[in-house]
Amino acid sequence: MSEILRCENVIVSFGGVIACNNITLGIEEGKVVGLIGPNGAGKTTLFNVLTRFQDCDEGKLFFDGRDIGRHKPHEMAPLGMARTFQNINLFSEQSTLSNILIGAHHRIGNPFANMFGLPSARSNERALVEKAEYIAEMLRLTDDLDNPVKNLPYGHQKRVEMARALAGDPRIILLDEPVAGCNDEETADLKEIVRRVNQDLGITVFLVEHDMSMVMSICDHIYVINFGANLAEGTPAEIQQNPEVIKAYLGEEEDA
Amino acid sequence: MHAKVSSAQAGAAALKQAFRRHNIAAVVAMFAAALAFPFMPGVEGWMASQASLIVIYIIAAQGVSILTGYTGLVTVGHGGFLAIGAYTSALLSKFFGVDLVIGIVAGGLMAGVIGFALGLVFLRLSGAFMAIGTLGFAFFVGTVVNNVPIFEGREGISLPDNRVLGMEIGDVGFYVVSLTCLGLTTLFIYRLVHSGVGRAFMALRDSERAAESSGVNRLLFRTLSFSVSAAITGIAGALNAHIVNYVSAEVFADIWYSVDFLVATVVGGSAMMMGPFVGGVFIVMVPFFLEELADFAFIFKGVVLIGVLILAPAGIAGVLARPVQAWRARKLKALQQTGDAE
Amino acid sequence: MFGQLVLSGIATGALYALTAVAVVVVFRNTRTINLAQGDFAMIGAFAAMIFIKDLGLNYYMALALAVVTCVTLGIAFERLVMRPIADSDWLTLFTATLGMYYVLHGVAGWFWGRDTKAFPVTFDPTPIEVVGALISHGHLINMGWAAGIGLMLFLFFRYTKQGIAMRAVTDDPDTAMLMGIPVRFIVMLTWGMAGFLAAFAGVLLAPIVYVAPEMMDEVLIKGYVAAVFGGLYSIPGAILGALMIGVAENMAGGYLGSHYKTATAFAMIVVLLAFRPQGLFGIQKRREF
Repeated sequence: MSEILRCENVIVSFGGVIACNNITLGIEEGKVVGLIGPNGAGKTTLFNVLTRFQDCDEGKLFFDGRDIGRHKPHEMAPLGMARTFQNINLFSEQSTLSNILIGAHHRIGNPFANMFGLPSARSNERALVEKAEYIAEMLRLTDDLDNPVKNLPYGHQKRVEMARALAGDPRIILLDEPVAGCNDEETADLKEIVRRVNQDLGITVFLVEHDMSMVMSICDHIYVINFGANLAEGTPAEIQQNPEVIKAYLGEEEDA
Repeated sequence: MHAKVSSAQAGAAALKQAFRRHNIAAVVAMFAAALAFPFMPGVEGWMASQASLIVIYIIAAQGVSILTGYTGLVTVGHGGFLAIGAYTSALLSKFFGVDLVIGIVAGGLMAGVIGFALGLVFLRLSGAFMAIGTLGFAFFVGTVVNNVPIFEGREGISLPDNRVLGMEIGDVGFYVVSLTCLGLTTLFIYRLVHSGVGRAFMALRDSERAAESSGVNRLLFRTLSFSVSAAITGIAGALNAHIVNYVSAEVFADIWYSVDFLVATVVGGSAMMMGPFVGGVFIVMVPFFLEELADFAFIFKGVVLIGVLILAPAGIAGVLARPVQAWRARKLKALQQTGDAE
Repeated sequence: MFGQLVLSGIATGALYALTAVAVVVVFRNTRTINLAQGDFAMIGAFAAMIFIKDLGLNYYMALALAVVTCVTLGIAFERLVMRPIADSDWLTLFTATLGMYYVLHGVAGWFWGRDTKAFPVTFDPTPIEVVGALISHGHLINMGWAAGIGLMLFLFFRYTKQGIAMRAVTDDPDTAMLMGIPVRFIVMLTWGMAGFLAAFAGVLLAPIVYVAPEMMDEVLIKGYVAAVFGGLYSIPGAILGALMIGVAENMAGGYLGSHYKTATAFAMIVVLLAFRPQGLFGIQKRREF
C-alpha cells in the first residue's frame, strides 16, 4: 500500500523557537496512525502543517505523491482530506444537519447554479441531504438532526464533528485529540466509531492523542516526537517497549 | 438508504412539515395583504408611495443582512451600492428611456459587479478595517456623484415617468412593482439560506477555520456574499431613484444611509428572514412619525439601537419569534416523549 | 505657498490627531470602534460655547469645564452602555457607539438647534511668520496644545503607574487581571481619556469652523483613517497618519481645488489598505475579530 500523506524534513519556527525540527512521517493508506509525544513536543504545529493551516519554513508535503506544500486549507477537502478540531469547532448556531452538510461543501457544484436553485443543483442537494442523513444514522445522530448543535451534549457534539468530517467522502481523516475532555463512556464510543470508520469505510485515520490506552489499542502504527523532532516509530508493542520513549515520558513525569 | 423510522419520528417529521407550511402560508398571506393595501378603502395615493418606501428599505436591509447576518462581515458602506443602483438606472432612463424593469435589473447587476471587484480588494481585511474601508467606499461614491458632471451632483437628474412594458404606471403601479421585487428577493434569500452557498456563508460566520477545513474558499465566498449583497441593495437603489423620478447627490451621497441600513438589520435582527422586514419598517416609520421632532427621532433611534443591543441582541424579530419557537419546541418535545415511551 | 500649505496642513493634522489617538486608545483597550468620539468633541464645543456665552466665563475656564464635561460623558457612557455589553463581539460594541452617536446628535440638535453657530472666541487673524511661511495664530496655538497633550500622553504611558497598567491591559488583559491590575478601572480611565482628548478636539476646532451637531463628522472619519495608518494600535502611527492627511488634503486643496480635499483622505486609505492591510505601522493582531 502506498502512503497517502507524507511529510519530509519539516522545519517550523516561530520567532526563534523551533517547533518542528526536521520531522518526517508517512501515513500508509488504510491504516490508523497515531502521533504522540510529551506536551510541547510540536504535535499541534505538525498537525496544522499537515492540514495546511500552517506553512513550514522548510520541508516537503505530499498527498498521494503530489506536492501540497503550497496548498491552502480549503484546497484539501476536495483532495480527500478532512479534519476534526481539538475543542470542537462546530457551527454552533446551526442545526446538526447543516453542520454535517457543510462537510460536503466541495460537492455543491457551481456556486451560481446552487444559489439560484437550478434543477441540477437541486437534485445534487437532495443527494447530499440523503448522504448526510445516512451518516447521521450511522453515528446515531438522527434525533438531533434539526437541533442547533449548541444544545447538544458534549458527546453528541463530538459525533457531529466526526459526521461533518465524513460527509465529504474523505480518504483520510485527521483527528486532533479526539477524546480530549471525554469521559470513559464517550471515549469508548469514539474509539468504536474510529474503528468502524477505518475498517468498514476504509478511511485512513491519523490521530494526535494523549490518551495512551486509546492510542495503543487502535493504532496500527505510531510516531513519537519530542522537542520537535522524530523520536521513534513502530507498532504499539514496539513503542511501549522503546527505552527512548519511556525515558521521554518518564522524564516528563519526574519533572512534573 | 433510508433511516429506520419509528412512528414518533414520523410524527415529528410530519409536524415539522406542517410548521414549514405554516411559515409559507403566513408569508403568502402577508404579501397578499400588502398587495391589497392600496386598493383598500381610505387608502390614498401618497400612502402607496410611503409603503413603497418601506418596501425599498426592506430590500436594502435584506441586502445588508446577507453580508452581516449570514456571512458575519461588516459594512457601513452599502449606501454606495444604493447610489450605484440608483444612478445606473437613472442614467439609462434619462438617455435611453428604458423600461423600469430594465433599469432595476441593470442597477442590481452593476452594483453586483462592482461589489464583486470591491470584495476581492476589501475582503482580505479583518473586520474593523473592512468596516472603515466600506465607509470610505460610500464616501468615495458620494464624492464622485457630487463632482463628476454626468451625475449632475446636487442639481440632480429628473427622470421620465416610470414605464413598465410600455405602459405608464402611477404610484400604485410602482408599489406593485416594488412589492414584486421584494417578493423575488425574499424568495431568493430563502433559497440561498437553504442552499450550499448559504451554508458556506453561515459557516464562515460561525467559524472560519472549520469552514476552510470543510473546503470553503474563504475569499471566494466572502466576495460572493459581498457581491450578492451589493446587487440586492442596488435593486433597492434603482427603485429609490424611480420612486420620485429624481436622483440627486443630496440624497445619494449621504453616507448615513449606509448606517441606517446597519441600524435596520441590527434592530430588526440580522440573521433571520423577518429581520429586514421589522428593521425596514422601523427605519422608515421613525422619521415618519417623529417628523416634527427630527432631533427626537435621532435620539429615539439611538436609544432603541442601544436598547436592542443590551437587551435583545437577536433583534426585535428574534424577540417576536421566541413565543412561536417555544410553542413549537414544546409540541415537538411532547411528540418525542410519547416516542420514548414506546 | 508650498510651505504655507504644509504648515497649515500640519496644524489641521494636529487636530485630527487628537481624535485619532483617542480612537486608538479606546480600540486597543476595549476592542471598540468608537463612532461617538466625534460627538463627544461636539458636546465639548457646545459646552464651552455655553460657558462663554451664557455664563460669561473666560476661554480657559470654559475649556477646563468642557474637559470635565467630556470626561464625565465618556465615563458615563462606559458605565451605562458599554459595560453591560462588554463581552459582546466587536460589531455589537461598534453599533452601540453608533447608537450613542445618534443620541448625541439628537440631543445637541434638540437643545441647541441644528443651525451652525459661530464660536464666541476667535483668534487674532494676523498671521505670524514661521520658518519663512505664514501661519495664523489659531493654527499655531492649536499645534501648541496638540504638542503639549502629545507630550503629556507620552509621559503618562511611560512613567505613570496607570499608564503602564494601561499598556499591560492592551497587550494581555487576562494576565493583567491576574497580576492584580484593576481592568475595570483601566477601562473607565480609557473612556475618560477619550473624553479628555475629545474636549480639546472640539474646543480647538470650534473657532476654526463652526459649532453645530455635525461639526465633527468629517474630523471623525479622518481621525479613523489616520488611526488605520497606525494599524489601529500605534499612537505614533496615528499621529503621523493624521499629520499626513492634514498635509495631503491641504496640498490637494491648494493645487487641485477644494473639491478634492475630502476625497484625499479616502483615496489614501483605500490605497493603503489595498497594499498593506495591517496599516503602515500596525502589528498583526493576535486577537480574532
